[in-house]
Amino acid sequence: MAIGASTLVALHLAVTGASAHGPDPALSAGPFGQNQDLRFRWRSGAEPAPAIKTAIKAAAGAANATRASKAATFTYDAGGSNLIGYGPGATCGVNGLACYTRDVPDGFTMWLREQGHVFDWGTLKWCQSYTTAPNGCYDAETIALDEFGHVEGLGHHVNFNSDSDYEDAVVQTYSRTKPTVGWNAHAFGRCDTATLQVQYDVPLASARYSTCLDLATVLTLSAAPGSIVVGGSTTLTATLKVVDYASYGRIGGNAVSGRTVTLQRRGAGATTWTSVGSMSVGSVTGTYVLTQRPGAATEYRAVFSTPSSEGLNGDTSPTVTVSVSGSSCSAVAAGSTGTVQAPCA
Amino acid sequence: MPRWTRHHRLMAIVAATWLAAGCAASGPPSATSPIASSGPPSAASPIAATTAAGTDDPGSPPASAPAIAASTTPAGSFDPAQPPPASLAVEGGDPVVGQLGSLTWGDGGSDSPWLPGAPIEVASGERLTVDVAGGPAVATWSARRVAGTARGSAGPVGLGSGPGPAAFDAPPVGVWSVAVTLDFAGELGSATYYWAITVR
Repeated sequence: MAIGASTLVALHLAVTGASAHGPDPALSAGPFGQNQDLRFRWRSGAEPAPAIKTAIKAAAGAANATRASKAATFTYDAGGSNLIGYGPGATCGVNGLACYTRDVPDGFTMWLREQGHVFDWGTLKWCQSYTTAPNGCYDAETIALDEFGHVEGLGHHVNFNSDSDYEDAVVQTYSRTKPTVGWNAHAFGRCDTATLQVQYDVPLASARYSTCLDLATVLTLSAAPGSIVVGGSTTLTATLKVVDYASYGRIGGNAVSGRTVTLQRRGAGATTWTSVGSMSVGSVTGTYVLTQRPGAATEYRAVFSTPSSEGLNGDTSPTVTVSVSGSSCSAVAAGSTGTVQAPCA
Repeated sequence: MPRWTRHHRLMAIVAATWLAAGCAASGPPSATSPIASSGPPSAASPIAATTAAGTDDPGSPPASAPAIAASTTPAGSFDPAQPPPASLAVEGGDPVVGQLGSLTWGDGGSDSPWLPGAPIEVASGERLTVDVAGGPAVATWSARRVAGTARGSAGPVGLGSGPGPAAFDAPPVGVWSVAVTLDFAGELGSATYYWAITVR
């Protein structure tokens, strides 16, 4: 499902207008296919200078390496159908350094202006055209990466008024020159990848979600069996998912694996929770398991604490009660490997 | 079944937007290319800048102030193939068409630096309004300023934002480069326009 600009901005609540800060807006035509390989070649008669070719190829590699998602990839191929041109034929309007067109799902075009192009506001200098790049030059790799971001479906990042978050995105409303901060970004920013993740999905259930996202998760817990005889064991299974909101696009409902989920317990009727330990990775994606041998009726819950390294919010599961028949507090049996013994609650 | 092309999509969106905005359009013009190679009306007389390398930002700007001609907006001349011209004016003043910077429009877009902007003089405290006469409705807007020729290398300061139409108070006395970003209704796209505002 393609997510519109307004929806993506809505992902980050409590922000409005120019003060907004969140995932890049998404372009209305939607994304390419997941991991679609978009092969490009140089436009005949408008081939970039060698140094610019190198920069564009590097940008394609950077897009592929830092997309943090199943976004389309870019590969140079002399037989590719997507044309990248350079020079005075660029259809970038009067003031454009570079421009693109995208025709989902078929392909794209890209243009970069030529070194020395005279604008109203100055003469274009590509840093790659110099042995020692002078101040005031534009990094062709950064600009090409910006264009590849647009091709993926990214709109211009909405910065804070102060631009203090300029480095959160390569796809920017205005391009910077050396040596201004962000002039030579060679990787998508976290707010670029946020939108790529929403539009294309993350590559793996264990992949980290961009910190530019603010995603709700839902943690559930079950016990099997739910009733045991004293000395018996029960396996508690937690399942962690991203909440399946429509605005979350392709990541809504995703199972989330490889995180730390902690099991807590308390005696039936007690108010204080005690951590039992971290739950192990389950056989099903997004599940976490831990076996227990409670000596008496015990309540359990699973906790996923909000991580600082990604854009997921923590959640706590509903409480699950394991009843124990023939209860005896001295009847806690030795656990097998990987089993955490729980004393009588 | 005929394919629903991007051209059809764009035309449909434009038509819907005009209807939603209550505009009296003179029929949907034909779209040509996502980004027209012709420039905004304000960019009239390019200057062959030859400033030496070493200038900070952006590129190598002209040694003198850019001579970007002011012009008025031809009402009702919106070409759906590209963002409409946007003009800035104070009440009773002549509108000045902004210099078009980065944009995403239809299935294309273009990236520019922070531009010097089309010159306009206003008095302190005056209310500035942005008009896209004949164009699609503005869904949201934001305006920021930087001092003189900083051109975005210094931290901008917000002048305002919100749902369209765009209007904001003149910055303090001085010379400012002001960027106004307009997001057009119907997910047509967005564009940033620049003015060099002298506030007296």
